[in-house]
Amino acid sequence: MAEHILDAHELDVDEIRIPRENWFESSETLQKLRKNKKFPTIWCAGCGNGIVMGSLIRAIEHLGLSNDEVALVSGIGCAGRMPVYMDFNTLHTNHGRALAFATGLKIARPDMKVIAIMGDGDALAIGGNHFIHAARRNIGITSIVINNAIYGMTGGQYSPTTPIGKQATTAPYGNIEPSFPLCELAIAAGATYVARSTVYHVLELDKYIEAAIRKDGFSLVEAVSYCHTTYGRLNKFGTAPEMMRDLKKNSISKAAYEKLSAKRQAGNSKIVRGVLHVNDEREEFTKLCRKLTEQAQGGGRQ
Amino acid sequence: MADAISVIQPPTVEIAPRQKKPRGEVIVFGNWCKGCGLCVEFCPTGVLALDEADHPVVVKPENCTGCHWCDTHCPDMAIVVRRIE
Repeated sequence: MAEHILDAHELDVDEIRIPRENWFESSETLQKLRKNKKFPTIWCAGCGNGIVMGSLIRAIEHLGLSNDEVALVSGIGCAGRMPVYMDFNTLHTNHGRALAFATGLKIARPDMKVIAIMGDGDALAIGGNHFIHAARRNIGITSIVINNAIYGMTGGQYSPTTPIGKQATTAPYGNIEPSFPLCELAIAAGATYVARSTVYHVLELDKYIEAAIRKDGFSLVEAVSYCHTTYGRLNKFGTAPEMMRDLKKNSISKAAYEKLSAKRQAGNSKIVRGVLHVNDEREEFTKLCRKLTEQAQGGGRQ
Repeated sequence: MADAISVIQPPTVEIAPRQKKPRGEVIVFGNWCKGCGLCVEFCPTGVLALDEADHPVVVKPENCTGCHWCDTHCPDMAIVVRRIE
């Protein structure tokens, strides 16, 4: 790195100074940010939340949706801060209740693309019931769960997705509870689109989020983005770039996973990335609801 | 007659000799950067480097291939890569 610094000084590179207002104009993605908010974001250096935010904006951009057609709903936690920075219709709700509020919003405005952004604790611990029932109901909400394997904002308590044996501030000798398989839970509960990727594979994430928004029923995209500050430091995983490299090393695409022998599949400890489940047969909740309303109104008073 | 000759002649389109030209321009917005070092660590051609204050600076702009790794992975949206045609 010392050579690089020397190189930098030989070239005498001045820090580029751009006025804040002009920076928002420099790319289409940045124009979707809320200009009156305080930047940089509150997240730690290298946090994957910002990467997922960029990915979500690019997906919406690619779909060609206008800002008013999209509603972002979030709960509490690091991930819950995300809609604050984006210039869409946003709803910042109670802890774990993002999907509850999103359900109400979707029923009131079925034409709107409702996206719920949650963390792993938000989706599975505090809002666990909302999560399975939204999937069971198959309501047209796109849920994005950022899985950082810990409660990052409150100081590193273990969450439902902390792997067995990993340390947290409330599990100083290692976690003894098995972790919740988020995607499998959603599939079992009846979600119609389930995909998983990591923040290292962000272009994959763009595609999955786009497909999830396009999908009519309940769709889930899990973005694995381990917390560097608490999870990484407690378990001695190193710096943000090192943990990013680990995500690359410790993940396997679904196609490669399916080629493994049954024995190796059973012993697999890597993150499986890909579209894990698609179901085109189930009907979406708000459509069923409208049908029922029409049927009831048509048959009642005439 | 000239047309007849041109049929057997090789195409007249000039193929420029292979030269290293930057295919992208990296712009770093220092005010938003928190210095996590992801862009420097993962840039495949070493365009960026960290300065003494742990902030990325563009040191080899001619190496940029416009792959968009840095601007898609920047958690603080502090990098924009413009493709140069």
